[in-house]
Amino acid sequence: MDEQELIAGSLRGRMEDFRMIVEWYSAPAMALAMNMLGNRDDAEDACQELFIQVFQKLGSYDPNRSFKNWLYTILYRRCLDHLRKRRRRVEMVKKVSRETDLATPANPGLSRSLPSVLLEQLKAKERTALSLWANEGYTAREISEVLRCSASTARVYLFQARKKIKKILEQGHVSLQNG
Amino acid sequence: MSPCKTVEFFYTLVPLKPWRGYLVRRHIENCPRCLASLASREEAGSLLVRERAVDSGSSLWTKVEATLLEGSNAEAAKSRASYPTDMRRWGWAAALAFLGVLLISFFFLKGFQSERVSADAVSVRFEFEYVRVGGQPADAVVYQPQGSDMIIVWAGKSPEVPN
Repeated sequence: MDEQELIAGSLRGRMEDFRMIVEWYSAPAMALAMNMLGNRDDAEDACQELFIQVFQKLGSYDPNRSFKNWLYTILYRRCLDHLRKRRRRVEMVKKVSRETDLATPANPGLSRSLPSVLLEQLKAKERTALSLWANEGYTAREISEVLRCSASTARVYLFQARKKIKKILEQGHVSLQNG
Repeated sequence: MSPCKTVEFFYTLVPLKPWRGYLVRRHIENCPRCLASLASREEAGSLLVRERAVDSGSSLWTKVEATLLEGSNAEAAKSRASYPTDMRRWGWAAALAFLGVLLISFFFLKGFQSERVSADAVSVRFEFEYVRVGGQPADAVVYQPQGSDMIIVWAGKSPEVPN
């Protein structure tokens, strides 16, 4: 059964077809979400929201476009929402700790599975571009479809990410092993 | 200055993405020296979370399915609940409309009646209490044209009654 048949089946309400879509794309989606968000819990939430949104919006999917890119575009936006929420939460915790004069943990509510230096030094767009390029073999044009920007801009994000990674590796901030 | 240094200089000088993208495409992506200053796919991949390191297919589906079923149940319950609500709403609207018609009819009829009563009352006062001609009670006719505030009083001497 190919992708388009599964999509057509899901549109007719066949849950079994949609289950196959989820199982096909859950691992790459989780990897991208973890690379963007830096921890598994948030990535799982983002992926759950992604597939629910995909099920609800499947009717608006354009079959002439790559389904994977469409899915990644939704996931990218969901991850940006999570990052915004996290920023607000961190700001609130900082504010409360300033007012109550309490010591706060460095990264509240964040159990990371990505090297922290990557999260600190690379912007979300750069991490997304890098993840799509390194894990999926995407070109600048394909990355631009996910990020909804021009290919030129995607090329710049990727260039900056690769430059920063090289610098991090040269400075020996992280080992070549994950975590 | 070497071409690589020149490109780097102009890259830093003009912080516009189309311009920077142009420099990356025209020079950096094709220059072995510049490419050596960038991380390769393997180097970048070694720092990132890989697809094969993630196993969440079935557990994720369980959560997604539960949410979708919950959503569809909620939707069904909502539509079931909305049917009587809609019916009730229409019932109330009909009842209010009927009440409105009754009230309007009541006030319309009341107004019509009171108009007639007031005209009659006026005519009664003129005819029997106040209109006198030559010190003698006179015959009076009070007339109010329909739909007008004007009242015409016509008074005439009563024929003398022979003793």
